[in-house]
Amino acid sequence: MSVVNTTIKPEVRHRGAMSGVLTLGSLDGVFAAADVPGGEPVVLDLRSVEFVEPAGLTGLAVLIEHLSFKTDRIQLSLSGGSIPAYLERMDFFKAFGDRLETNIDLTPLEERSRHNPGTLQELVNFHTEEEIPEIIDRISEILQRQQYLVKERAAICATLSEICANAVEHSSSPFGAYAAVQAYHHVVSGRRGPGEEVLIAIADGGVGIRQTLSRNPDHAEYTATDNEAIRHSLKMGVSSSGELGRGGGLTVVAQIAARSGGSLSLRSGSGRVTTYADRTSSRNVPPFPGTFVRVSLPRLADRPQDGGRRKPARSAKTAGANAG
Amino acid sequence: MAEERAHRVYDLSSAGRMLVTRNVGRRVREELAGVLESLPRGGVLYVDTRGVEFMDYSFADETFGVLISRAAGGEFQDRYVVLVERERDLLENVEASLLQRKLALLRVNDVGESPQVVGSLPEHLLNTLQVIQQAHSITNSELAARLDLNHTAGNNRAAKLARLGLIHRRVETAAPSGRQYVYEKIV
Repeated sequence: MSVVNTTIKPEVRHRGAMSGVLTLGSLDGVFAAADVPGGEPVVLDLRSVEFVEPAGLTGLAVLIEHLSFKTDRIQLSLSGGSIPAYLERMDFFKAFGDRLETNIDLTPLEERSRHNPGTLQELVNFHTEEEIPEIIDRISEILQRQQYLVKERAAICATLSEICANAVEHSSSPFGAYAAVQAYHHVVSGRRGPGEEVLIAIADGGVGIRQTLSRNPDHAEYTATDNEAIRHSLKMGVSSSGELGRGGGLTVVAQIAARSGGSLSLRSGSGRVTTYADRTSSRNVPPFPGTFVRVSLPRLADRPQDGGRRKPARSAKTAGANAG
Repeated sequence: MAEERAHRVYDLSSAGRMLVTRNVGRRVREELAGVLESLPRGGVLYVDTRGVEFMDYSFADETFGVLISRAAGGEFQDRYVVLVERERDLLENVEASLLQRKLALLRVNDVGESPQVVGSLPEHLLNTLQVIQQAHSITNSELAARLDLNHTAGNNRAAKLARLGLIHRRVETAAPSGRQYVYEKIV
């Protein structure tokens, strides 16, 4: 009897001049497609991917974790180009190499001396709060090397730590959470432009924001839908425990992102909410098994930087891009 | 005059220059609580955060929010916490936590300098605090007179400040009526 493969193909996006971008939205449809019968081989077709941002990488990690519960036969289909080298550099194969078959030989990548341009936090899997300070130290080092000022580093690291803490504290995720961070020498969100940008992505496979908030009956009127629950979770003091002082982390993160001219996107269950300085948008998306957070923190070249910040480099140098 | 207070300085950067998560905050808070309890009554614990690069909201709330909340609940009995920090972004998360908890904390640029308030303090209590700070030490009747209030109203305001840990309150024997409250600045 012949075995039929299920093929899952993320919907890559165009972003300005870039095409083939694997990001948060690329994975909208794939989790439904990943609901395969137990044991059936699955092909993850990434051949159209030309650029992976941290949100795409962490989403991919969660997808593979999700698939691993259903099958031990996952094949990753990659084109040549820079993507395999990028995935290797981001420790993707270190995390998942033993669970995946690939259509290309990874040995040359593994043997090549690793080059970290000092702009990225490799894909990291964590399960407890105790692991977070080390992740933060690493990010702070990256930002310091990129000449971010203490004030800017503080904003970025505080953002990351709050989201990491939420992921391990509330999610009850069977595989913990994944985080990836990259500092780019250009703005990659929205229309690519001059300036710099730090992208932070964290994903877990837990119960999601709506179910977490539902533990507290005080939030009952805000938990009818995932989008309502996500919007409610962004308010100061909203937490599942209801304890005084809790529920401030996400609010602070949203404020930091807005102040930098960036955004905070939260995807949980069937909801997706993105907050900017001047607006918040929501939309219904196919269900996601857990919570996904993407934070964009740009330093726009045409915006005066407060506090005497240095002007971002205008160079087209792409140390943060995927080119291996 | 207000009495010279026993004090200790705790350098928060000894716990790290980047302080994140509630777990770390809990550990630091318990250390601070231990130092506070070791002070004589009326003593001041200066928490010097100037060597810290940043702290996240969770750390700030677990350390300062919870500690000050316990102090306001009377757990440390007339022992006070004062932050040593310049006006900078680091204070934002401490302030956010205190605002949410409706608490306040005194901050000085350096030990011995004039304090500012971080957190939540209504205007009328801020005015009352300023009068006590300027006087260094003041009886309830003098305070009420300066604020143009009756004794009960003046005492209510000062009692709130004392409960928040922003001033020291003691009872003094006074002829002929017996006792009166005296309010003193902490720093």
